[in-house]
Amino acid sequence: MVPLTWYLALSAVLFTIGVVGVIVKRNAIQMFMCIELMLNAVNLTFVAFSSYFGDVTGQLFVFIVMTVAAAEAAVGLGIIIAIFRNRESLDVDEASVLRL
Amino acid sequence: MANNELQQLLPVLLFILFGGMALGFAVAMVAQRNPLYSAVSLIGVFISLACLYLTLQAPFIAAIQVIVYAGAIMVLVVFVIMLLNVEEEVRRPVRLRYLVPVGVLLAAVLVGEATFMLQVGRGAAPDHFLPSRPSDVGLTASIGTGMYTKYLLPFEVTSVLILMALVGAITLARQGRAPLLAAPGNVTEEQPRLTAGGGPALKPGDTAATGRAFARAQIASGEAAAPSSGAREEEG
Repeated sequence: MVPLTWYLALSAVLFTIGVVGVIVKRNAIQMFMCIELMLNAVNLTFVAFSSYFGDVTGQLFVFIVMTVAAAEAAVGLGIIIAIFRNRESLDVDEASVLRL
Repeated sequence: MANNELQQLLPVLLFILFGGMALGFAVAMVAQRNPLYSAVSLIGVFISLACLYLTLQAPFIAAIQVIVYAGAIMVLVVFVIMLLNVEEEVRRPVRLRYLVPVGVLLAAVLVGEATFMLQVGRGAAPDHFLPSRPSDVGLTASIGTGMYTKYLLPFEVTSVLILMALVGAITLARQGRAPLLAAPGNVTEEQPRLTAGGGPALKPGDTAATGRAFARAQIASGEAAAPSSGAREEEG
């Protein structure tokens, strides 16, 4: 049986990769995907704890996190398309001021 | 005896396989410059995580992971990437190069923090599923029971969130497009377009109300004469 710590360590490393991606990347869509990766790392923690301690609450939380991620995808990609229409670019540095 | 050893070893091998796959795909996602390749790597991460959920005996979450994340969300992302025809990321200007060491530093801090926390809590983290663990944790029935009884309010609030996202996405998508029905205020500035025969040219989206509003505006500004009974007789 795999110790719980292994899952937590894997989740921490995945979360860190997501954080580094958000900082290093400049393409809005790639930053968005790194945020999704961070959400998934947290989901892995939830499911691991839920399974090892036998409490189903963690998996319910994962369900809600996935719903939030889906809503975020819909609105976030809509914003990205609106930015692209105005600027012909997905570079977040060019959209650093909140005006046209 | 060998069978028993295999049963002990198999979960470890599966964890190393899928955990390694998840890590590899995640690193590839950040390292890629082309957003489409990043998206494909992210799908790999999601699939690996779904397999890890299966090793944790959570089949419902694994199925939802594949359907919602790898299916719905990533289809949306790939669709947007192809719609916008995003080119590869260009080299960053000098003034932003400092972000890479900042990212590495922050990663080191985060990993150190996580290692510390895992060391502190090492005695508390179980190596096996607890013996008191109910056998149905992770099955669809137990999740549904919890969701519709104890956690009904969060579930309902989630539906409100989805509705807000729906309205927000539609509002954003409609942005910048001309209104379908022209109000009188929208058409006063516009000159009428005439066909070769001298009649007004119709364009898609024009309604009878548009034409009437336009005529009223022209009469009000004196560009056109109000229809008189004499003019009607001449036409007849």
